[in-house]
Amino acid sequence: MLNIYFGDTDDVIYNTAVYFKNTYNEKWLTKELTKQMILDVDKSEVVSEKVINSPVLGMISPEQLSGGVKTLMLVAYDKKHVFNASTCGDNCAKWLLKIAENEKREINLRHIMNFGDGEFKIRVLNTNRIVHNMKELILEAGRYV
Amino acid sequence: MKGKVQIKIKNRKCQFEFEIERNITIVRGDSGTGKTTLFNMISEYTRLKEESGINLQCSKKCIALTAIDWEHQLEQAKDSVVFIDEGDRFVSSKDFANIIRNSDNYYVLFVRENLHELPYSVNEIYEIHTSGKIHTFKIMQDRLRRLLCCSL
Repeated sequence: MLNIYFGDTDDVIYNTAVYFKNTYNEKWLTKELTKQMILDVDKSEVVSEKVINSPVLGMISPEQLSGGVKTLMLVAYDKKHVFNASTCGDNCAKWLLKIAENEKREINLRHIMNFGDGEFKIRVLNTNRIVHNMKELILEAGRYV
Repeated sequence: MKGKVQIKIKNRKCQFEFEIERNITIVRGDSGTGKTTLFNMISEYTRLKEESGINLQCSKKCIALTAIDWEHQLEQAKDSVVFIDEGDRFVSSKDFANIIRNSDNYYVLFVRENLHELPYSVNEIYEIHTSGKIHTFKIMQDRLRRLLCCSL
């Protein structure tokens, strides 16, 4: 399940782009989950561990991917740290839920991300309550951001 | 600081055209829409000017602010357009808010977190809209407010 701490805290990796640049593993790029996330969020295709084909920028390196996709990879593959997921747009929300579908993941949000119109299960760590839709999420977490 | 400022910046691959009106402009929206690309273009132009290969048209000086020594950089910036990318904690600090209040610069902030210290208007929150190679700023629809209003 996705666990979210809302609001300011020091115990997170805040600048996920810099952290990604210095720590990412090239093998992450060719995982099926990564390919799907990059195609969906950045509309780009993974060519190899080092090259991604972007419709706007042409052939780019993993470091030139969007901040959102980099953070998604960190959340998916670096389980030791908690990341500032306010570097992700709303189009990353479904992927955060998918990454945390079968195992616990913790992220930090400094804004209310839109997880869509459907039902979901998210634990708001500030109150330790589980919310099931956006109305509940806003009412539970809105005061912390 | 008065009036609208038009900015046009391009390289061979993409072009951004937008206008800012108030001293603080927030740019949010989905990932992958070009916020960091725009910031990097401004940053390269700030460092290398025409030698960057980037073409920038703006009546004011444009600056990409970096986290290192940001206070000193802002002291030097007068009557400029200052761009700040996400990932810099100082943006939510009181020190930064105080400097902005006493400044004659325009600020374009690429940040999603709520900045309680800054006096920005909800009407000045934009997202990047793309049509072909050209990227523009478009006022962001507040989907959350609509969703909450409909569900309460």
